[in-house]
Amino acid sequence: MSTVRRASVRPPRPSTPPPPPLREPFTQRLQLFTGKGGVGKSSVVAALALEAAARGLSPLIVELGHRASMEGVFGHNGIGYEPSAVGHGVAAMNMDFQLALVDYMTEHVKVKAISKAIVENRALRGFFDAAPAVPEIVTLNRLRQLIEARQGAGFRHNPVLVDLDATGHALMLLELPSVLDGLIGGGPLRRLLMSLSTMIRDPQLTRLHIVTLPGELPAQETLELYAKLVARKVPLGALIVNQVPEEPFGPEVELLDDLEARARIASQSALLLEIALARRALQRQKLASTQIERLTKALPLPVIRLPLVLGSGIAVDDLKNLGRLLVGSGANASSADAQ
Amino acid sequence: MRTADQARVLELVDSRRLIVCVGPGGVGKTTVAASLAVLAARRGKRTLVLTIDPARRLADALGLDGMDDALHAVPKQRLALALGSGHGELHAAMLDTSVSFDALIRRIGTDPETTARILDNPVYRALSRTLSRSHAHVAMERVYDAVESGQFDLIVLDTPPLRSALEILDAPGRIARFLDDGVVRWFLKPERGRLSRLLPRGGAAATRLLGLLASKKLVDNTAEFFSALVHLKQGFRDRAGRMHEILRAPSTAFVLICAPTRASLEDCSFLRDGLIAREVPIAAAIFNRAFVAEARSGDNVPGAADDLGTLEAALGLAELEPTRAALAKTLLFRLARVKSQAVSMNRTALAAIDAFFARLPNGSARVELPEFERDVRDLPGLTGLAAWIAGPD
Repeated sequence: MSTVRRASVRPPRPSTPPPPPLREPFTQRLQLFTGKGGVGKSSVVAALALEAAARGLSPLIVELGHRASMEGVFGHNGIGYEPSAVGHGVAAMNMDFQLALVDYMTEHVKVKAISKAIVENRALRGFFDAAPAVPEIVTLNRLRQLIEARQGAGFRHNPVLVDLDATGHALMLLELPSVLDGLIGGGPLRRLLMSLSTMIRDPQLTRLHIVTLPGELPAQETLELYAKLVARKVPLGALIVNQVPEEPFGPEVELLDDLEARARIASQSALLLEIALARRALQRQKLASTQIERLTKALPLPVIRLPLVLGSGIAVDDLKNLGRLLVGSGANASSADAQ
Repeated sequence: MRTADQARVLELVDSRRLIVCVGPGGVGKTTVAASLAVLAARRGKRTLVLTIDPARRLADALGLDGMDDALHAVPKQRLALALGSGHGELHAAMLDTSVSFDALIRRIGTDPETTARILDNPVYRALSRTLSRSHAHVAMERVYDAVESGQFDLIVLDTPPLRSALEILDAPGRIARFLDDGVVRWFLKPERGRLSRLLPRGGAAATRLLGLLASKKLVDNTAEFFSALVHLKQGFRDRAGRMHEILRAPSTAFVLICAPTRASLEDCSFLRDGLIAREVPIAAAIFNRAFVAEARSGDNVPGAADDLGTLEAALGLAELEPTRAALAKTLLFRLARVKSQAVSMNRTALAAIDAFFARLPNGSARVELPEFERDVRDLPGLTGLAAWIAGPD
């Protein structure tokens, strides 16, 4: 076994500079996360929630839609519309549009039975399903209820971390007022919209973080997304670049060509295969660095790099380490080296 | 040599008229869809690939400058250069929601006046802007037109990520159903005390609700929109019925595209279960970036030196000066680590794919694609990818 044959050699780890932390991570009670599918947004959200809990806060993770990624992350079944504890001091919930609509109605109609009757009415449901911006309004309204809920002297949920599912979703939430501009007159609905719009634009209350990957296409999409978000005047937090490959080699890499030549002469086919893999890893790492540099130069946001955690399932301990990396209290990056 | 699974994918390309590519974002879905289309064109078919990907990746890969809502044909010469002789046609279009929706209204529109009333209505304009939900409608309409035109032997549809992909299946009937529902009549005949009929227990509350949810202006605009739209009801209903047939026809195949990362597999499971729940057969599951080829041979390669001493001797490291020799040893160690990580990633991915595949219905083809060193960016690249998907010639 190749891993055994050289186990006696224990070189020092390559030194990676500590990533810059998320400054004052939990000052804002509403933390929104956006990014394309597959960028590991839910891992980032879970990691930050764990870190918030470790600091004695009472974080709530909100997922939109019916994905329930947190059930897998925390090994806890039955995450529903009502916030429930999923362990490690973290609570989680799924934002179900129909139920959020009931909440919205109840808030205004006061009688739950009636609001349910309205929502469950077939004809009206057709209207709510098709009407523009209804899901966005009720979702924001529910988020506002959640961040305002009190417990004793403090807030019941703090921070509220929202996985916005996809960039399109985030933009829809943020452009509500412009979508509805000219559509609604004055009155209570407009006032509500304005207050929700103020909520997501309040820098004391809200931060929107972008999660992306260190590839060319994701970087391009991030630049485009950034421009749209700036146009919508939402307070931005950090750019989190996930799954950044670590540098596979230290100074010894200068001997790679030499070693390859020797391996060729000695017909060490297994070693040649390893060298091919090494070149691929180097290339991947270089590509990632180039894209991170590009993003860092183009965007006036703190850029946080998170390591690639290998394996299909991320353990809660890995996430806790990621959480420490995110806020800069975990100087030790080796824990991310899961293999 | 073509594996049995690859042969089944090839059979799909050869025999089906519509292939719907479904999968989460970031898995290379658009590239795989384009690759299937290129393969079909290569096999002599008149092919259309419809994408919704706002990144202009597909256009670049196909060598089309600035793709938009209109159909663009890849020039014959370019095709001939990349695919050789005997190729068919390759067309591509990108869905622009607002443009396509307007086009739909114009097509179904019974008269110019009604059409104009709808297009100018603020409710309609807001509706056609709620992209996440109208993408599905628009995609379906484009597919409908393309199928009915008889212009193509095969249409490959790239879908938006996640839930909206399932909406492709649910979308056709929704507008028609919506127009059938009481709500339209309710909006159109506001003078008959319908609130108490609709909501016997909550008439007063519902009035209040409407005031809150929809200001008078919105209610008026909505009523106006519906009164125009209701003329198009039959048109919507006919198309919905036909689309429902097309999507569930034996000549249509759904192909699931995934990457073996945790996030991607979770999203893919959601899609898989959603398709199964809608009784839509999944003809194939394609796992992109499923393995690193160099690490597939496993740990033991015959002829490799088994211990460090033998390896160092074989490489002649002794002739290096001591500091360089030490560095070389470090490098050997690190190389082994890189390899063992890659092997372990391959294994993890394979196990995850096995688990995922076990929950697919019988009869789905399973194809795994390697991680390529660079992105697929052109026609030859797409052809090369097709060889991995459906086997080499």
